[in-house]
Formats: sequence, structure tokens, C-alpha cells
Amino acid sequence: MTDEIKKKEGGVSRRDFLKIGGAAAAGLQIGAVAGAGLAAGKDPAANTGWQHLGDNTQFVDRKPLQLKGQPYEKVGPVLRPEEVESAFGRRRLMMKSMKQGSRGSQKPAAEAAEKKTAPPKDGPPEAVGDIPPESRPGAKPSGSGKRKPGPPRMKMPPPDSFVEPLAGFYKTHPDIYELDKVRLESIMPKRREDEAKYGDFYTLINAWQASWMAGQPIEDPPEISDFQMASPMGRGRKIRPSIPFKSPQLAAKLVKKVAHHFGATMVGVTKLKPEWCYNHSLRGSEDRGSYEVPKHWKYVIAFGVPHQWEQVQANPNCGTSFDAYSRATIAARRLETFIKSLGYPARRHSPMDGYDLIAVPILVDAGLGQQGRHGIVITPETGSNFRAAFVTTNLPMEIDKPIDFGVNEFCKDCHICAEICPSASISYEETNEKITTRGYRHWEINQTSCYNFWMQSMGGLGCRLCLIACPYSRKNNWAHALARTVDTNDPTGLVNDGLTWMQKTFFKTPEAAEYLPPPDGRFATFREPPDWLSVKEYLDIKTLDPTKGE
Amino acid sequence: MINGTVFFAFVVGALSGLVAAGAVIWAKDLRLKMTWWKWLPALLWYLLLNFSVLLAFTMIGEGETGAGLKMLVFFGVILVILGAGLVRLLLAGRAADKGLPVETG
Ligand code: SF4
Ligand code: SF4
Repeated sequence: MTDEIKKKEGGVSRRDFLKIGGAAAAGLQIGAVAGAGLAAGKDPAANTGWQHLGDNTQFVDRKPLQLKGQPYEKVGPVLRPEEVESAFGRRRLMMKSMKQGSRGSQKPAAEAAEKKTAPPKDGPPEAVGDIPPESRPGAKPSGSGKRKPGPPRMKMPPPDSFVEPLAGFYKTHPDIYELDKVRLESIMPKRREDEAKYGDFYTLINAWQASWMAGQPIEDPPEISDFQMASPMGRGRKIRPSIPFKSPQLAAKLVKKVAHHFGATMVGVTKLKPEWCYNHSLRGSEDRGSYEVPKHWKYVIAFGVPHQWEQVQANPNCGTSFDAYSRATIAARRLETFIKSLGYPARRHSPMDGYDLIAVPILVDAGLGQQGRHGIVITPETGSNFRAAFVTTNLPMEIDKPIDFGVNEFCKDCHICAEICPSASISYEETNEKITTRGYRHWEINQTSCYNFWMQSMGGLGCRLCLIACPYSRKNNWAHALARTVDTNDPTGLVNDGLTWMQKTFFKTPEAAEYLPPPDGRFATFREPPDWLSVKEYLDIKTLDPTKGE
Repeated sequence: MINGTVFFAFVVGALSGLVAAGAVIWAKDLRLKMTWWKWLPALLWYLLLNFSVLLAFTMIGEGETGAGLKMLVFFGVILVILGAGLVRLLLAGRAADKGLPVETG
């Protein structure tokens, strides 16, 4: 049947179908593109530089799955768990029994076991976690017969020689007594043998594990603290002898890889120039005065961690530095412990643990970014929305080179940070040529007027407005990624001009004075705070809202 | 879980095919004498339309509603101006053919 006949019969011809279908498809396509745009804009995975921590990680709707009845069947009297019921709890009680035995308790069997087995200095073999002392960071190198044999085999004392409630529990649970006995008498000694034989094969996973437990304060000067383990398990122990890497390239590769896993968004490595170290207040030393830069601070690993996206947009009066401070610090503690676990001295420099060095030039040297007009570093990934931390070490690593992605050119015409700064602390000069400090030319803000504004702001202490207003601090969706890529690769500067024009024309923000306290301003925020920082949304208290002029 | 990006590419790809097939027939029925130098600006105009919508709605999705709406207006004006030029270009040569039988099939 031809299209003509179909048409005459009142049907839809192929031609008409394609015409109408094509037009409808065009409309649908525009709709789909709009929807895709909305999704790309909203996508928290594009919150620059940070893996999203939003509630959409929990993507299954649980409402339709909700149980009608109870998830548990009650079949007897309900009891809360006792310590003695768990293997970890019993281990603590066993240690207690042994300690009492050694102090001359009435428990002869525990005393006998104690005499036979003499636990190592930092506790009995099972004392910390499930890791015997040999495999703890800071332990001597293992494997290939290098490791010393472990303590003599332990003998499980009889049930009634333990402290209560363990003694009573073992009497009523002989099966569990047997399992604990097997662990103490057979599994743990075998584990120590395996550790001695194969321990080196697991060097990296042991270092990795130790890193996640890092977190002791720095209390000694670098010559001591940098050479001691800082994780709770090996605290105060001297680091093991250095394990050689196959090459500095591989050392840098491994360090960067684990640093990312420890929470660093961007990582770079450079050699430490002594002039980037403060000339006072070395952490861990009594003397607050000048010090010689430690010889083993040869390399520095620099990394950055961005702020939580929604709250950083709500600066200066409803944001904080401490979210990224905390994450950067924790990443630095982990990385320091990882490097120490491989036998190299290391010291972290981070927001919560303090710095012995200046952040900006090291970030630049390590190729993480360039300094902007607002004095801080802009990276190609997160703009200036990040906080830095460092680890100094003598682990030989391949170093990175500084980068240039056009920030100096962009800053020439941009001035957005200078225009928005509530304390007028940022220079309007076209370039930084006339600004020099301590022998180097670089952008510098008026720190004192900036700090004065911090003290005027509400919410989390500080400001960070220049950090987030910078056009480089945008989301990592297709639109901003495209703008970044094209701008970086445009030698004419036309894209640069176009983007600056778009930023100033399309994106309206409160004026500088609006961020000030009333009556001069209204404690404005760069963008609306997220609902989870809104007191009105969640708390049943009456408050004035200065942003609305109350 | 359906991978959103893959599914979106599939849907938009299918729609694009339909749009292209429809456009060819529309051009014939409207007696537009299409050549590659007419198809090319028409395609570019359509791409710009898609780009503008995508960009504006991305901004709206980001919470930059004001910027998104301003972009819609800005690119809308550009699209109207370019569209007027495009229509003139497409219609060029059409008047002379007036009265020719409509091709079918
Ligand atoms: S932190 Fe705030 S006050 Fe300080 S320079 Fe940046 S915008 Fe100005
Ligand atoms: S806001 Fe503009 S001038 Fe300021 S640092 Fe960023 S790019 Fe440079």
C-alpha cells in the first residue's frame, strides 16, 4: 500500500509520520537537553574536587521497602550485651587477669601463664586490635629470617584462674574457652611464625593500615618526632630502617596514589627550599626563635582538600574553614604515618597540627596551581576552593614542576575578588609587579584588614569570600570544565575577556558592603546557605534574621 | 541501576535520527532547495539552540537561576536574529520553483 493510498484511507503516511515525528522529536530533544542541563548543574558529583558526600549516595528509596511488622522476633527475656560475650571484651579481661597475676593475685594459673610468656613491653600479643606486635608499624623489618622470633608460646590458664566475670563465663561456655585457648596457644604463635616468614610481602598493607590510625600530637622537635611512629599502635617507637623504592618515580607515584586515598584531592611533590620555612616557633621545640631547617626535610608533598560545596558558597557569614582544615589534617596524619611506616622520617604540616612552612610557594613549586590576586593558590581543578597540608620527608621522589594555566593573565582584568572583598584588602593593581615581600614578587593582601573583617563576620570564624567568588572556583560540570579548558588553551585572551564579561554580567552577588555587620551591611552570604545550616528550618527557637534587615 | 548517561545518549541519539529524517521531508515539502551550505548553518543553528538550553538549565540546576534565565534571554535573542537570517537563506531560490509539484514517496 502506497503512502498516497494510506492517506486517502485516512491513515498516516510514512512521510507525515516522519514530519510530525521529527518535529516532535526536536521538541523532545530540547526538553531532554534542558533536563540534562538541570541534572548536570545539580549533580553533587561535580562539586569541585570533592567526591560527593550528599544524601544521594543512598539512592534506594526505602519507603516502598518498609516492613509491615517487626524485624525481630522476641522469644525470651531481653538482655543487653555483656563485655564477656565478645571476643574483644574477653581479651581485655584476659589481660586484666594476667596483670593481676603478675601483681600477686590469688589466681595461680594466670600467674603461671604470665611467668611463662612474659608479654612484650607494650602489652600481651593480642593487646592491640588483632595485630601482633611484629606487624605493627615501627616493628623491625620482617621476613627472610630478619625478624626476631616472637615471645615464647603461651599456655591458656584453666577457666577458674581468670577474673570474674570471665571465669564464670568460661565455666558456662566451655566451647568458647576452647576457641580462645586454640587462638592463644596455636593461632597466635603460628601467626608470629608467618609474620617472620612472610611479613615483608605485606609491608604496604601494614603501612596503609597504620596510616588510618594516625593522629598523635607533635610534641618533640623534628630530630626526634619525625623519626618516631605516631600512630596509637606504635607510638614513640623508632621508625624501621628505610625500605628502598625501585625508583624515585615509583616512590612519587605510590605516595600520590595513597595520598588521594587518604583524602587529598590534588597532590604534588617538590624539593623544599629553606626560605619557605618559618623562621620561628618550630613545633615540638621549646625555643620559639629562629631554627635551622632540618636536613631531612628534603622533599615536601603538598596536597589540597576542598571545602564542602554548599557551605563554602554561604561564606563569609555562614561558612567555615574547619571542614577542609579537618580533612586536610587527617590526610596529612595518614600520609605521614604511611611514610614513616616505610622507614623514612616524616612530619606533617596541616591546619589543625600547625605548619613549619609557608603554604603558597610550596603549592606553586609542587605544580598544584598558581597564586591569584587574592594571595592564595588557584588550582585548575578546584580553583581556590581548597585547603592545603604538607608532609616533609627525605624519601627520594620524582618532583613536579610549577604550572601556568593563565591565572596571571586572567587576574589582570578580573578583579572580582578585589571588588567583593568587604575589607578592601585585595589590590586592584593590574599586575603584582610592584608587590614584593621577603625578596620575592607576588600578590599579597592586607592581612590585618582581612583579619579585622574575620572578627566582624558571623557564623564560622573568618571570611573566605575571595576564595569562593573567584571564577576558577566553580563546579566541575561540563559548562565550567569547557570554559576552563578553552580558556587555558586560548592564546588570544578573547575567551578570557568573554568569560570575565559573562561572570560579571550574568552572575549577580551581594555588594561588598552587604557582607558587613548591620547597620552598614546585613551579614549577607555569597549564596543562600543550605537548608541543613538553616536554624529556621530545623530548630524551634526564635531568632532575628540580619540578612532580612531584622 | 540504569546508567543515566548511557540511557540519555541512547534517547537523544534516537531523537536526533528522527529529527534529521523529519527535517529532510520538511525541506522537500516546503520546496527548499537544500544544499550542503544550507544544511550546515541549519545544523549549527540547531546545535546552538541545544547548547543554549543545556547551558542555561545547567546554571539553573547549579542554583544560579538568575544567571540561567539571563543566558536564556541572551542566547534567545541571538538565536532569533540568526534564525531570521537562516530562514532567508533557506528560502532563497524557493520562489522560482513555486507551483512545482510536491514530491512524494
Ligand atoms: S578573606 Fe575576605 S576579607 Fe580577607 S581578603 Fe578575602 S574577601 Fe577580603
Ligand atoms: S577573582 Fe579574579 S582576580 Fe581574583 S584571584 Fe580569582 S581570577 Fe584572579
